[in-house]
Amino acid sequence: MVAKKKKKYSVGEGSQFISRRAALNKLQLSLNDFRRLCILKGIYPREPRNRKRAQKGQPGIKTLYHKKDILFLMQEPIIWKLRDYKIFNRKVGRAKAVKDFQKMRRYLDNHPTLKLDHIVKERYPSFIDALRDLDDCLTLCFLFSTFPSLPHIPRDQFMLCKRLTMEFLHAIIEAKALRKVFISIKGYYYQAEIKGQTVTWIVPHNFSFAPQPKQEVDFKVMSTFVEFYIIMLGFVNFRLYHSLNLYYPPKLPTTDVSESDKSLVDENIYVAERIAALNIPLTKLSNQTEEEDVEIDQFPSDTSAEDIEKAKQEQAKIKTLKTLFKGLKFFLNREVPREPLVFIIRCFGGEVSWDKTLFVGSTFDESDETITHQIVDRPNLDKQYISRYYIQPQWVFDCVNARELLPVNKYFLGEVLPPHLSPFVDKERDSYQQYIPPEEQALYDPSLRETLNEADESDENVAEEEEKEENEAEEDETEDMENSNEDEMQSTSKLQKHKLSVKPGQVYKEEPWEKTRQERQEYKLREKMVKNKHRKLYKSMMQGRRERSKEVWLLKKKRRLHEEQKTKQKSKAKQ
Amino acid sequence: MSLIKKKRVSKKTKVSWRKHVNIEDVENFLEEQRLEERLGKPISEKTDEELFTVDSTPNNEIKLTSKQRRRLLLKQSLPKCFSMLQPHSEVPDPIIKRNRVRSKEERKNKLVKKIEEEKRSRGILKAKELQSQKDRKLYELKKANQPKIVEFNKDIWNSEDNTALNNEWIQNNTKNHTLRGTGKLLKTVPKSIQTKQSVIPSIEPPHPGISYNPSFVDHQALLQTVVQKELDIIKEEKHLQRVTRSMFSKVTAFERETNWLTEMSEGLDKTELEENIGDYKTINPPVKNKKKDLKQRRKQKEQQQAELARKAAKKEKRKIADIYRLKFLKNQIDKNEKKAEILRASRLKKVAENKKGTKRLSSIKFEVQEIDCSMPQDISGNLRNVKKRGDLLIDRYKSLQKRNILQPTTKHTRVHAKVKRFQKPGHKDNWKITIARSNKAL
Repeated sequence: MVAKKKKKYSVGEGSQFISRRAALNKLQLSLNDFRRLCILKGIYPREPRNRKRAQKGQPGIKTLYHKKDILFLMQEPIIWKLRDYKIFNRKVGRAKAVKDFQKMRRYLDNHPTLKLDHIVKERYPSFIDALRDLDDCLTLCFLFSTFPSLPHIPRDQFMLCKRLTMEFLHAIIEAKALRKVFISIKGYYYQAEIKGQTVTWIVPHNFSFAPQPKQEVDFKVMSTFVEFYIIMLGFVNFRLYHSLNLYYPPKLPTTDVSESDKSLVDENIYVAERIAALNIPLTKLSNQTEEEDVEIDQFPSDTSAEDIEKAKQEQAKIKTLKTLFKGLKFFLNREVPREPLVFIIRCFGGEVSWDKTLFVGSTFDESDETITHQIVDRPNLDKQYISRYYIQPQWVFDCVNARELLPVNKYFLGEVLPPHLSPFVDKERDSYQQYIPPEEQALYDPSLRETLNEADESDENVAEEEEKEENEAEEDETEDMENSNEDEMQSTSKLQKHKLSVKPGQVYKEEPWEKTRQERQEYKLREKMVKNKHRKLYKSMMQGRRERSKEVWLLKKKRRLHEEQKTKQKSKAKQ
Repeated sequence: MSLIKKKRVSKKTKVSWRKHVNIEDVENFLEEQRLEERLGKPISEKTDEELFTVDSTPNNEIKLTSKQRRRLLLKQSLPKCFSMLQPHSEVPDPIIKRNRVRSKEERKNKLVKKIEEEKRSRGILKAKELQSQKDRKLYELKKANQPKIVEFNKDIWNSEDNTALNNEWIQNNTKNHTLRGTGKLLKTVPKSIQTKQSVIPSIEPPHPGISYNPSFVDHQALLQTVVQKELDIIKEEKHLQRVTRSMFSKVTAFERETNWLTEMSEGLDKTELEENIGDYKTINPPVKNKKKDLKQRRKQKEQQQAELARKAAKKEKRKIADIYRLKFLKNQIDKNEKKAEILRASRLKKVAENKKGTKRLSSIKFEVQEIDCSMPQDISGNLRNVKKRGDLLIDRYKSLQKRNILQPTTKHTRVHAKVKRFQKPGHKDNWKITIARSNKAL
């Protein structure tokens, strides 16, 4: 007997993939429902290695899914909810058509609801996983919170977005987790560090909603993403609040609030508005202070001393950053965007207020004499107090990025501002891989600024000094000699003391080059350990690095020579 | 001036009388009378007392919203379904004493009513009523338990359910057995759900040139990239133009026709055609099945055999010669292998490179979003006058597409087939034209 002939595409790539149409048939869902389900469950179309085989010989390009993914979708309980929706819509439609409004109302009152909690857990098995994928979630939620109500999108989604994003901002304020900020023409970029994960998000400028005549974006699809992200953000917020010892639906400390204020408006709206003000600290579960970030003391053995030192410096910088605006009192003028500034200032421990008539939640008046900075964004101001600086909003952003309080003189009222640089460029790489003129470097590194200024000043004085130097040159030489002698004497005396204090014998002399030699050797050994697979890549990488740094060195040298020549010319001209 | 003479018509027959006599004023009068009977006196004849009432009670009502007022009115008014039963004219009912069917409640005996009331007051209810009460309570409980808005009241990452079952020691069979019917997941989650689709970050670090107040160098660099991109597009367009449209010269329709004619009739000798019109002649001459004789067959066979032998000999000779060419052959093989290896490596490289980029997920190709940049004149240098550029929503949408999460699509509008619509003759048409006899017909 002949073995049965194997059917084509029953094994291999042909059996691994399934077209969208086939998936719809398998799941018995409409296209819209299928799209929704896929987005909620995080299942995306795939590109096969060999399209012809994956499409079972059919021509053209089709949207393909992994068959296993579709089988996984098949046992998802929310599929039944989606089918319920179909029936529900049909019932409501019928009741509406026959004008049986009582029935319609009854149906609408107990509509089926999708419960997505288990999907969040399934897609993000741990909290850290959720934090890692928070960028998209936050950006979309912030964007949707600014939208008006739109057709085909549930109305409460916008409200929920607004609420959850505000809660998230409060959590960031309490955790002091903000690290970088950047104002772009698109919106505000923020970067925070939560549990060691960097989370970046964009908040649009005010009035960002633009109607789309061309319908470039499918609003329904985006709203499905938001539907899932809302749930995710809610649970992330819950966890964040509890790790910060806060009540989760955030509560306000109910002091100094008069009953009349409360009775004026709906309780919920009152609380929501206060929270949206971002200016009021939330009540804590207990008075215990949450655990501070523990100082680094344990390192894996293979990190070098330099790395440790660097990490420690970074840690110290962040520590100072967290209390950057502590003790400062800000007042916002009405033309300044309130939300970003309040968020940033409160994140770094500052106090902030605004005009009482502008929005709820202002804590002090403009006439308060203890205000240190007033943030103004207009060319001039009529009434000014002597006791405070009048600065433009960019100062706050630049301070955060520089991680220290910058001198205010460049940011005064009506002053032309220095450029607002992006903190998202990789400075580490840039410093030695790419040439940056000293003027620009000074913008990043405040310590260089002073030296640069000194250099500028000194340039003018160079000619005078040179004359003096010529006279003093001889004296200097003699002094130098004396100094060196003294140094030697001191060092020998120290050595002798050392001998006496401990025990006689030869002191172990640490050769300075020995350590570096050792390190170099170790480095070379480690280089040897690079896998064969990556060897060429490594080689080319190192070569590129060398070439770039050489170029930098060359440019620096050129600059130095150029400057020297300039000073010479100046001195000549003076003479 | 003379009046237009009325045309005299004969009113001899009944038909002509009815047609030409003017009884409009009589009919109008009668119509008015009937109307008055139906609707009552006209307003102009009514007295003030009949029209107005003096409102002497103070107005203590709470102000209602228009919606509430509408609702209240609706509640107070009779249901629409009863309007048919209401008299719609002022004409009094000719039957003064009309008999009415009494309702079930009215028909009940007084004694029965009293007993029922007593029982109700003592809390003795019918089974039906008891059931309805029970049902209502259950429904209310269900409603109360239903979450109205989404609630976040638990730490989903800390609550661990069926952890005991997620043990390596427990077999799949056991798991299936215990979890059957509980509505919990039996399937393991595919790993692809928890891994990212692309290495591209969800929020790409912004170019320093898109700062609201960028440094000159950064801004120029950004503009340079934008310009370069635009130039590339123009170049591509030019190339396409050159390769397609400008490759062909434009001709008029008439010219094309003549060209086609000349091309098609190329090689045909007109004079010859005209001459040979008379007798029929095919291009292929008729085939004759001519047989070979025995000698011819033998010769053919011998030739074939000789050819085969010659080929075999040549092959043998080649083999012997190849022994001396071994070195050369080996070199050639090595060379080919090396080439194949290089090719394979480059292919692998290409695959690795493709992994970083956007994959092809649907028949529509992904198009990169335009770079948002501000023109030098738009940079105001302060936050108050920032000019926004780019739509964040489009940015997100494109980013999702770029990261292989969404497949690129276009707005799909369904084109409905054009249906010719017409009305059935006789349905809803003007009866005056089609049914009533026109004056002319008479």
